[in-house]
Amino acid sequence: MKKLIILSLMLAVAGLAYAAEKDAVHSIEIPVVKTDLAAGEGKDTTEKYCSICHSLDYITMQPKFPKATWTIEVNKMIKVMGAPIPEPDAKVIIDYLSAQYGTGG
Amino acid sequence: MGPANFSRRNFLKAAGAVSAMAAVGGFPAELLAYERRMARFPEKTDLILLTSRPPQLETPLSYFKEMITPNEALFVRWHIANVPTSVDVNEWGLKVGGNIEKELALSMDDLKKFEKVTFTAVIQCSGNGRSLFVPPVAGGEWGDGAMGNVTWTGARLRDILNSAGLKAGTVDVSFNGLDKPPLPTVPDLVKSLPVDKAMEEDLIVAYEMNGKPLTMLNGFPARLIVPGWYATYWVKSLSDITVLSKPFEGFWVKTAYRIPETDCGCVPPGTTPKKTVPINRMTTRSLIIDPSASSELTLNKPVTIMGVAFSGGRGIQDVLVSVDGGKRWEETRLGEDKGKYSWRQFFYEWRPTKPGRYALMARATDTIGESQPFEGLWNPAGYLWNKVEKTEVVVK
Repeated sequence: MKKLIILSLMLAVAGLAYAAEKDAVHSIEIPVVKTDLAAGEGKDTTEKYCSICHSLDYITMQPKFPKATWTIEVNKMIKVMGAPIPEPDAKVIIDYLSAQYGTGG
Repeated sequence: MGPANFSRRNFLKAAGAVSAMAAVGGFPAELLAYERRMARFPEKTDLILLTSRPPQLETPLSYFKEMITPNEALFVRWHIANVPTSVDVNEWGLKVGGNIEKELALSMDDLKKFEKVTFTAVIQCSGNGRSLFVPPVAGGEWGDGAMGNVTWTGARLRDILNSAGLKAGTVDVSFNGLDKPPLPTVPDLVKSLPVDKAMEEDLIVAYEMNGKPLTMLNGFPARLIVPGWYATYWVKSLSDITVLSKPFEGFWVKTAYRIPETDCGCVPPGTTPKKTVPINRMTTRSLIIDPSASSELTLNKPVTIMGVAFSGGRGIQDVLVSVDGGKRWEETRLGEDKGKYSWRQFFYEWRPTKPGRYALMARATDTIGESQPFEGLWNPAGYLWNKVEKTEVVVK
């Protein structure tokens, strides 16, 4: 009987310790949300590079911009935000964004 | 009252589920540059999804009918992809280093031993309202929902810094959180404040929002609160405070989050400012929440026009309302005063006696006379938005 009580106590203490430990860890799981980009030449290149650092809704939430603005934005990603995009691919991305998310200007 | 509850139906209950919506948060769909989606992230209710990685979630305006914004409805804004998703509070510590007498590594228990300070303060993204800029600017395309009014509890930053002991020659204090860049080439989000600002009485390291632990996406387990200033300084999941004897040179202060160095913080639309300074105090603004845009009101039936108004920490002197597009202005009744950093609700009783379309407007003035412009003030990054907005309603 004594052994049983001690065992119960030990289990209770272990349980409390486990609960405290568990409560100390706070975790969440961030959902993956898929964003489809418009079909067009350069879509794959755009998806490949842009999605290294951010979800593609960063693109789709923007207003329509002239090519000059998309050029500034892509260059900002490379020079300022550290995106590893080779020059020829950057051009493909700028052309794609200007064609699919541009003002035509 | 019309579309005030329109979004409820469309809210999805599944975690992470997303749905398309034509109009959200009181904006007519035609004003939106893109279709808005709703999403439910952990510990949050259905919010307007701007981006998912890193998460940027906007609060539907209907939540601002309440004085205090519920934790689950508060907007979310992270900058770099690797946001903290799991924190062991027993392992977490707040390190204080740099130009100080004694380095600190504060546990949550240590933090809670400092005098506990509680106040209500508006938290607002620098880019709140960016989607309303003309011509449009690139960035997080927020409507008016990147804000909220929250009761924060924590330890004074000044008390923490004093216990570390600032050495002579301190100029800046920098703040880093647990979020990490996705590549080594991407600048980590580190912010700084001039030491005089950091030592002001009302800055706290908060470990509670509305009496509960912070939600993970709002900066668990502790974040900096700089009441009256834009939330870019309110570093989330704070892990490191560094006291500096030289001006801080990090990207997120030296290059990003800057406003034109002009009286209005603005430049002629489409132009580049000659000189810029780090963004700081919030501009005075107000917003009509109820009735929401496009509401249908009933002829001769009294309606209470309700909204919120706040300033950069100087309280609100008055809010005027116009129901005729700005020709005549009427005084409003202000609600509870929860201190100079909180927003103030305003109320105006109106009985529309003619059918037709009406443009409702509100204009707030803070306690030193700073008010809101009738034309949107423009700057290239889309900050400081506080134009007197028009809420169009129909009386039938």
